[in-house]
Amino acid sequence: MAGNIILGYDGSAGSKAALAVAVSVAGAFSAPLSIVFGYEPNPMGGETADYKNKLEKLGEDKVQGAVAEAKAIDPAVEIEALVVPLRPVESLLEAATERSARVIVVGGTGERPIVGAILGSVPHKLLYRSEVPVLVVPAGGE
Amino acid sequence: MLATLTEVFGGKRGSMAVTTGEVGVSSVPEESAGKGLKVGALGMLSSLVIGVASTAPAYSMAASLGFVTLAVGLFAPSVMILAFIPMLFIAAAYYYLNRADPDCGTTFTWVTRAMGPKTGWMAGWGILMTDLVVMPSLSQIAGSYTFSLFGANGLANSTFWVTFVGVIWIIVMTAICYIGIELSARTQVALLGAELVILVIFAIVALAKVYAGGVAHSVHPALAWLDPFKISSVGALAGGMLTAVFIYWGWDTAVTVNEEAKDARRTPGRAALLSTLVLLAIYLIVSIAAESFHGADYLSNSNNYNDVLNALGKDVLGSPWNKLLIIAVLTSASASTQTTILPAARSSLSMAVHRAVPKRLGDIHPRYLSPSFATALFGLIAIVWYVVLTILSPKDVLGNSILALGFGIAFYYGMTGFACVFYYRKHLFKNMKNFVFIGLAPLLGALILTVIFVVAIFYYSNPINSSSGNQAWFTFIHFNFTFLHQHFYVTKGLGPPVVLGLGLLLLGVPLMLFWRVRHPAFFQRDRELAESVDGSAPPLTPGVTPVTD
Repeated sequence: MAGNIILGYDGSAGSKAALAVAVSVAGAFSAPLSIVFGYEPNPMGGETADYKNKLEKLGEDKVQGAVAEAKAIDPAVEIEALVVPLRPVESLLEAATERSARVIVVGGTGERPIVGAILGSVPHKLLYRSEVPVLVVPAGGE
Repeated sequence: MLATLTEVFGGKRGSMAVTTGEVGVSSVPEESAGKGLKVGALGMLSSLVIGVASTAPAYSMAASLGFVTLAVGLFAPSVMILAFIPMLFIAAAYYYLNRADPDCGTTFTWVTRAMGPKTGWMAGWGILMTDLVVMPSLSQIAGSYTFSLFGANGLANSTFWVTFVGVIWIIVMTAICYIGIELSARTQVALLGAELVILVIFAIVALAKVYAGGVAHSVHPALAWLDPFKISSVGALAGGMLTAVFIYWGWDTAVTVNEEAKDARRTPGRAALLSTLVLLAIYLIVSIAAESFHGADYLSNSNNYNDVLNALGKDVLGSPWNKLLIIAVLTSASASTQTTILPAARSSLSMAVHRAVPKRLGDIHPRYLSPSFATALFGLIAIVWYVVLTILSPKDVLGNSILALGFGIAFYYGMTGFACVFYYRKHLFKNMKNFVFIGLAPLLGALILTVIFVVAIFYYSNPINSSSGNQAWFTFIHFNFTFLHQHFYVTKGLGPPVVLGLGLLLLGVPLMLFWRVRHPAFFQRDRELAESVDGSAPPLTPGVTPVTD
């Protein structure tokens, strides 16, 4: 697969808005859509197996919901769902590289910049690190 | 609009870099699958950093050196070495049990498998109580060192204000874990590096000043300080050891986390060995330098044992350089608080997954992805516990906590050692390596910890041996007997550390029985035996598969 549209999806309002945009972009380019959920427990916290299992399950539920939603919007789009055991930004960058992605689509959090800086804003980091264009969809927007 | 998008995305593709790193991707079944999936690999340096930072050397020294010298005087360095031996042995148990079942519940799951659900539940309880008991000492150090940092020495000695800042510390740290804020690996390396460099500078300057002469009550270091056989009594030795096991607490992370290392065959051994050497070296030079500067009595007297590094820092480094030492202790304490809250929440999550505690403790925050309920509850209980402890024993929160902590660590590390031997008992005699590393070492480690645990109970039962001095609880209790040529006696009640340490562990028994009546499912399982030394164990609770790559 190549030329994919990569969507970062965590179930938040911003990522739902991004889903709609990503589907329409994928449809317009006739490109496959990769819906990505990334997670990585802090290694400082010791063993992680049960925690990882739960996160993986949670991620699968989320992306599966997203797949259903995307299909409802445009049944013609080819969709894959990825649950990646890496931090969100890393998972998107890796998926983009592996899939020779056309664009990464993420939702804006609707948070104030200072909050984003403290929490570590995914769109912000992507803008600096991604080698493919990044499309940030505002939380309220469709 | 679409035309514009095509323009933007069009020419970009030729310039894309192809990285060679493997991605871990698992895909949802019905869709096209991703492949070649491997969990992010930890390098040698990050394994080392995680192990040493979790042990938190600067905080460990600040919190415990006073109390170790209180028990064994100038022989503190010998205890630092000696206490490492059981920890090293138990690390072998961690290493092999983790191979079979790399579970968040660690000791809880392993003991449940090897020795049955009731014992396993108690081991899990032991972990949680130990994590709880360390919180007041962390907050106490954080509170008083924060005031010292800003030169507010009056406030640093005020019980109210230190507790106030300590509570804020717990709230902030809990929030950080709740939201899931992480420092980047590079920042962690830098912080830990700075911590170690500052400790070394402190030790070198202290020793240089001692040899230059003119420091009040200074003593030249002697080889005898490394000889544990010169310690006055078995009780004092056990007391010192109980305090000193605490300084290596967290080191096992270096062994277990390494399972994910890039070169799984060599990295774990090397990182663990290297972190051991780093820790031992740091503890030895810092304790030797600290003792020689003003003598052991200076460290163990009641004005200083709560903040030895702060007290010494002023004389050794002078102002404003002593602030560096304070900052090192604070960053170290923050790493240690994090590596307390995160595992506590994950242990609770693990117990919840296996239905050994209420399900809610396994809840994951949809946005922050943290075990949010367990994290918040732990923070709340830690605050309540800290405040109650401060009210009960205002002058000695740190001393009581460190000793009570020793009991908790000895308890659940000991259980881990026994569980390893039990679980692998069919494979111990197959070859020499199995016998030594899976059998002998864990067993010896567990036995040493058991002896320390028991002897320390009697030693610290007598209030005069604990730093609280005259404070005694349950004043109707008294005993008087001789064991190992030592005279143990209690005339009027028990010392607070024993009551706290044992009391919290024993509190688990009624809770376990209560849970067993209400939710018997968890308790209806059989003990397990390892089928092989290399293989991974079947899931503990059917339907919950351990992640093994």
